[in-house]
Amino acid sequence: MDAFKESLVEELGTHTAFTIPLFGGISVAESVVVTWIVMAVLLIAALLLTRNLSVRNPGKVQIVLESAVQFLNGFVKTNIGKHWRPFAPYLGTVALYIGFANIIGIFGLTPPTKDISVTTALAIMSMLLIYGSQFRYNGLLGGLKKFAAPMPLLLPINLMEVIIRPLALCMRLFGNVLGAFIIMEMLKFIVPVILPAVFSIYFDLFDGLIQTVVFVFLTTLFTGEGIKGEEEE
Amino acid sequence: MTLAIIAAGIAVFTGIGAGIGIGFATGKASEAIARQPEASGKINSALLLGCALAEGTAIFGFITALLIIFVG
Repeated sequence: MDAFKESLVEELGTHTAFTIPLFGGISVAESVVVTWIVMAVLLIAALLLTRNLSVRNPGKVQIVLESAVQFLNGFVKTNIGKHWRPFAPYLGTVALYIGFANIIGIFGLTPPTKDISVTTALAIMSMLLIYGSQFRYNGLLGGLKKFAAPMPLLLPINLMEVIIRPLALCMRLFGNVLGAFIIMEMLKFIVPVILPAVFSIYFDLFDGLIQTVVFVFLTTLFTGEGIKGEEEE
Repeated sequence: MTLAIIAAGIAVFTGIGAGIGIGFATGKASEAIARQPEASGKINSALLLGCALAEGTAIFGFITALLIIFVG
């Protein structure tokens, strides 16, 4: 049991992949390196898939891509309302990154979302998006007034939500990925053959994709809530 | 150390709330879909949101338990 606990603690920590010998050594975490891999895969896929696009006779790849973009645009439009346009590219990018980061565990790499710093950064970006857009589209006074909506009694709760929303987003993603990771490690420790492969489909693929959807969906919903006026709801 | 293990076990009891909550939500959602199959898209997205929020409590309990075992 002690050996197992040792290996678990070993896995829980964030590993340093390598150290840049500048300014007394900048350590680069493993999650950063895996993020670079995800970025490279996405970039190459984007470059390869968008070659030979044409208006007159679209190929099969182009039709699939167009329907995916259309799905994303429609989803953002229904949840945010008339100011949906600037949000769709960001939300799509975050969805692609989190999705790839979560399911990269299948290929034997450590998912970057197991590192709490990554999920914290994503949650802070979501928080800036939610409250930045609230002030951007309602003006300073209108944005402040949103904190007293739907009635002034709820002001303290709305102010608490500024902290609670990103905390919950961050912890939800981190806890799910970490929990799945620990259960997979335990399974590999107890039954090293066949069984981990079956459970990996659920924990790595299904759970990872669900958490991606949940993260993006909640960010979109909160953003829409901050922007929408009372008349257009 | 044994006391910490017991504390971690108690922290994981938050899972009860999440389980009951998600169970209720899913049950009601299936009822709603049975009544109005054409509204299943909207019901599904509302269900997903509710489940995500309900699941948050269980995740907090889980993280607390991990902190107690490995840090505390």
